[in-house]
Amino acid sequence: MARSVPVRKALVSVVAVLLVVVGAALAADAPRKGGVLRVGNLGEPPALDAHWTTASITETLTNHIYEGLYSLDSGNRPIPMLAEGVTVSKDGLVYTFKLRQGVKFHNGKEMTSEDVVASLGRWGKQSVYGKALFAQVAEFKALDKYAVEMRLKEKSAIVLISLAVPNNFGAIYPKEIADKFPPEQKVTEYIGTGPFKLAEWKPDQYIRMVRFDDYKSRNEKPNGYGGGKTAYVDEIRWVPVPEVATRVAQVETGELDFADDLNLDAYDRLKKNPNARAIVSKPYYWLVAVMNKKEGLMTNQKLRQAWQAAIDIEPIMKNVAGGKTEFYRMDSSLAPVEITAWHTKIAGLPWNEHNKDKAKRLLQEAGYKKEPIRFMTTQEYKWMYDFALLTKQQLEDVGFNIDLQVVDWATLVKRRNNSKEYDVFTTGMGVFYDPTHHIYLTAGWPGWTTDEGILKLQADLARETDPKKRMALWEQQTRQFYEKVPVIRYGDLFGLRAARNTVKDFNDKTERVRFYNVWLEK
Amino acid sequence: MGPYLLRRLLAIIPVLAVVVTVVFLLIHLIPGDPVSVMLGPDATLSQIEATRKGLGLDRPIYEQLIGFYARVLRGDLGQSYFLDRPVSQALWERAEPTLVLMLSALVVAIAIGVPSGTIAAAYRGSAWDRGLMLVSLLGVCIPGFWLSLNFIYFFAVRLGWLPAAGYVSVFTDPVGAMRYMVLPAFSLGFNQSALIARISRSCMLDVLQQDYIRTARAKGLSHGVVTWVHAFRNALVPVVTVIGITTAVLIGGAVVTEIVFNIPGLGRLIISAILRRDYPVVQGVVLVTATVYVLINLGVDLLYAIIDPRIRYD
Repeated sequence: MARSVPVRKALVSVVAVLLVVVGAALAADAPRKGGVLRVGNLGEPPALDAHWTTASITETLTNHIYEGLYSLDSGNRPIPMLAEGVTVSKDGLVYTFKLRQGVKFHNGKEMTSEDVVASLGRWGKQSVYGKALFAQVAEFKALDKYAVEMRLKEKSAIVLISLAVPNNFGAIYPKEIADKFPPEQKVTEYIGTGPFKLAEWKPDQYIRMVRFDDYKSRNEKPNGYGGGKTAYVDEIRWVPVPEVATRVAQVETGELDFADDLNLDAYDRLKKNPNARAIVSKPYYWLVAVMNKKEGLMTNQKLRQAWQAAIDIEPIMKNVAGGKTEFYRMDSSLAPVEITAWHTKIAGLPWNEHNKDKAKRLLQEAGYKKEPIRFMTTQEYKWMYDFALLTKQQLEDVGFNIDLQVVDWATLVKRRNNSKEYDVFTTGMGVFYDPTHHIYLTAGWPGWTTDEGILKLQADLARETDPKKRMALWEQQTRQFYEKVPVIRYGDLFGLRAARNTVKDFNDKTERVRFYNVWLEK
Repeated sequence: MGPYLLRRLLAIIPVLAVVVTVVFLLIHLIPGDPVSVMLGPDATLSQIEATRKGLGLDRPIYEQLIGFYARVLRGDLGQSYFLDRPVSQALWERAEPTLVLMLSALVVAIAIGVPSGTIAAAYRGSAWDRGLMLVSLLGVCIPGFWLSLNFIYFFAVRLGWLPAAGYVSVFTDPVGAMRYMVLPAFSLGFNQSALIARISRSCMLDVLQQDYIRTARAKGLSHGVVTWVHAFRNALVPVVTVIGITTAVLIGGAVVTEIVFNIPGLGRLIISAILRRDYPVVQGVVLVTATVYVLINLGVDLLYAIIDPRIRYD
């Protein structure tokens, strides 16, 4: 076999060369530590207390500092984060969570069950999702150092998803902090278990988060909002830049590495820039006109149906998206496509009918006499103003009389709480991860959906644990939604963010930005 | 001079009281609610009510006003709803960027305005005159916002000479601070220089027609000496007034500039405070700016006496 020696030699050298090449390629793409990631966002958070507010900027920031027992995977299903796992009793009434051991808080203390009980107790009294869950909880206590038990009053479908929702979430704080700040008062000491810890907060200048060296990551791969997390950058510097044109310019000049919430008209400019990347963020919002169902004209269901029948949604969406088809989607489902578990495909719903005759007929049946309908919107969010303006035109075509009231955002969110002050207002509906979280289908949110049928289905959805039956209930709820029209669903609008090319491994599949596992090539 | 100064200082008190009361009532009477903004879009109505109560916002407005007065008299401007710190501390932190911006803009405005106005007057009717006045007309007309964004686009994005936005303290990095301050100072100062140039020109023209100037010229003094030595000082009095007004205007103009160039000063503080209805901060900023405004006015009046010995205060 003498002849095979050179062949073997050749083979060995080929393999060696390949290994070197592949190795070099891998090395070039291997995440590396270091650097300061400068992120431009639109303003200051009202708090860095995840339990306290539903503001999305607080959500983004706090999810880098704190963690909850559960998190969401890439399909938006709950997966354990600080919990090792859960066992549920046969009757479905007792949830026993085992905690991961050796997880450290930023102050060096180990996280144990007493921290979890204190934190979730506080969360259950303040957070929108916490309150909904704890309304079903009979008892919540520590079993031992690494186990907690949640005993329910009745069977519940929402235990894990409520703990996993990233907004207004069940962040685990040290017990001392959870006890020190009563639920209605925001926390001002920021200690979590997350991969980054807060170093400095200078309002209107920056929020500095630095790597937490003792962070104990999960062993799984990164998955959605959960899985393994690594802080590659030394520091995330969140810079509030309220003027959107400035945010865009600073990404172009390299003063910022990443910018969120950009105007869609910056898309073309960013696409031409060889150093930056435009990222379409979806899902973002679906546009919605919320009807006052407690008082005034819109308590009339026929009138709401007339509005729904009249509007031609595609031109409105196209205009709001600046004529760019990349930025909107036409879809009747109440949950966006990205929430795979709850996206519905029901044919024949009265969505986007733009049927003038039907609208006129409904107006007549409603006994509408051209009374002015007070429709509140704001220019602070340009897309809200645009869609309100176009809606007004379309509605007046079929015989509505719309009194468009343009106010600033703080006025709008104040007025919408008072049933005497408006008939309809514009807003955007973010993502909800469970049917029971759709706030516009509850009586406790502006617009006041008090329809018995809708509320009964919401209650059923909260109790039913069989996924198939829940889906059937949700489809039924969707049909009911289009019949009773608590709010008007327009289309899905997407957002725009931008990153410098040096920002690597940013996950653009999740709705909100997360910078763990992101590294800088500099 | 002494009694005059005392009278003027005492007169400031009712002015400030009126300003503060009006602002308090205005900001509380316009609709809008800090709590709904703080708690976010998904908050329930019961949460909002509870938090309002916690901040004392459910109490009648006169009670809140009395409480506010009581605190101010004790020297306490209250606690910001959003910033987790006392208003006085927030004000103090923001004073430096605004002062630096105003001073640099003022330097730019004077450095451009006074010489160009004087030159235009000295060479009245010449191409210099027409050219300078055209530029100053542009300066008056261009909105500061638009000018700022164009400065950013050309000098930062296209040419890459200067940073687009941001702020560095002069105390930590003087050179860096200047780099950050060039564009904002020029966009804010350019607008104001236009007004100064026009006033300087007309004052200079006035003075140049006076008898003593003719006398000076008749003595055979050069054009330069007549302009800069004899006329200039006497033309200054109204110009100082304008510069005083300019400084006050700069406080307002700084708001836009601070937002576009992302400078964490008082202007940005008050805009964000108004948008999110951070009442204590709005009241605090207005109280302090009104005080500064009134003091600048007083300072200008006192400066007259120094520049023009004929003006005396008794």
